[in-house]
Amino acid sequence: MRRRLLALLLALACGLLGARAALAHEVRPAYLEIDQTGPSTYTATWKQPVMGDVAIHLIPHLSNGWLEQPPADQYATGGFLIRQWTVRAPGPSPLQGRTVSIEGLQNTITDVFVRIRLKGGEGVDTIVRPEASQFRIDLKAGAPTAVSAFLLLGIEHILTGPDHLLFVLGLLLIVRDRWMLVKTVSAFTVAHSLTLAAATLGHIQLSTPLLNALIALSILFVAPEALRAARGGTSLTIRYPWIVAFAFGLLHGMGFANGLSTLGLDKGALVGALALFNVGVEIGQLAFLAVVLALIRAFRLMALDWPRPVTALPAYAIGALGAMWTFQYSAVLLGAT
Amino acid sequence: MGARRRLVLAALALAAAVPTAAQAHLVATGMGPIYDGITHFGLSPEDYLPVVALAFFAGLRGPATTRLLLAVLPLAWLAGGIAAMAGLSPPAAGLSGATAVMFLLIGGGLAANLDPPRIGSAAAAAALGALRGVADLAGVDASLPHLGSLAGMAASVFVVFAVAASLTLPLTRAWMVVAVRVSGSWLAASGLLLAGWVWRYGARVTGS
Repeated sequence: MRRRLLALLLALACGLLGARAALAHEVRPAYLEIDQTGPSTYTATWKQPVMGDVAIHLIPHLSNGWLEQPPADQYATGGFLIRQWTVRAPGPSPLQGRTVSIEGLQNTITDVFVRIRLKGGEGVDTIVRPEASQFRIDLKAGAPTAVSAFLLLGIEHILTGPDHLLFVLGLLLIVRDRWMLVKTVSAFTVAHSLTLAAATLGHIQLSTPLLNALIALSILFVAPEALRAARGGTSLTIRYPWIVAFAFGLLHGMGFANGLSTLGLDKGALVGALALFNVGVEIGQLAFLAVVLALIRAFRLMALDWPRPVTALPAYAIGALGAMWTFQYSAVLLGAT
Repeated sequence: MGARRRLVLAALALAAAVPTAAQAHLVATGMGPIYDGITHFGLSPEDYLPVVALAFFAGLRGPATTRLLLAVLPLAWLAGGIAAMAGLSPPAAGLSGATAVMFLLIGGGLAANLDPPRIGSAAAAAALGALRGVADLAGVDASLPHLGSLAGMAASVFVVFAVAASLTLPLTRAWMVVAVRVSGSWLAASGLLLAGWVWRYGARVTGS
């Protein structure tokens, strides 16, 4: 009894520490898009996340001064502040070699996705990060930048998303053999890919508070199952973990979609971005699985005989975090906060 | 390219990679301090090379030594990092010299397939952890993000040590053990050259 209590306390402590980190990383990217709309006309759209009435201090600059003018339009919608400029700029290539800089970005942990498209098809897609808050526009090097940008975004999204990683870890604690692991991971991958695509392309939609609460519930669900599996018990989830992985994977896919849909890309650009983003998510997920499996193998070879509270700790930590997030997001859903 | 030239180039690259004591620059990934710490470790050969060598050494000594060192090394790294954040900042040349000595000690031990008492191995692990923890965090202020980076580094040390040791733990064939010992001789040779470089040029080798 004392051991169980100790494990629970440790898990709660870990949960509280983890929750702080998780909340701190819940930031949405800002977005800057510049499109050539005519032979010498351009539109620039700046979209930055706002928290209630407060917007983080981010100001986009373009070295040719386009964004220093008062915006033609400015409004707030869906948690974002949007500013739009229309610029007339004759000349063959007024953007080539210019510098985009984001004032205030270095003080945040927000990324800015920058997308530039010209009539001739040239363009740039890149991510500006706090540690390098400016970049020089090179319209000839657009395609490779886009590939790396969306791949990195996918990898970053899953590796900085403790909710998804904890769910995968919970599944890993439940499965008992390699073949079942392959089936479970594949089911999760197929499911989240389906809903990631459907949600990003706008075919399905779930309110963010409800989605967050359901994802938190999925984490809370796998924790007791992991404990039951560790004690040699059985249940539908333990016998067929791939069913649970598929069912909850559908929800997690919609969560992944937030990483792309909040960028506000047009549908034409979304398909390619979606494929690369999904590959990035899979790379991140497989890397995480590889590290955990390598550690499990190492512990086995070391003949590590963990005390029982320690072996139960991961499941208790997953459960504590899942429970806390479930209460937290349910409160948001019910309008309590 | 001759073996000697390769060795010199390897030592130069290693020397250039050793950070200054008072100007530690933590990597910024944009993914948060924990990932900054993980990336810092992954991009610092003076950090991961001796950890991998020590893990190989521990693996050859058996599960009991591996378990002990797996506990000692990350804890010592944490202690060293916290001491550095509290203001401990040894001279750059001293840190580089001590790192070179650790390369020699661990690489030499692995190459010679030494079998010291378990407490001796644990002391070497503690010295390495404390030294590199201080070197990685020297000059940075005590703050939550830097503590997060240190946690990321210690977690990396734990994972890399465990996984690397698991590669040598099951080795039974003599030629495989010899192959692992060769990696120790490379590390020792690099440490010898690094020590000579630090002795000859002092802190300049570290860029300070």
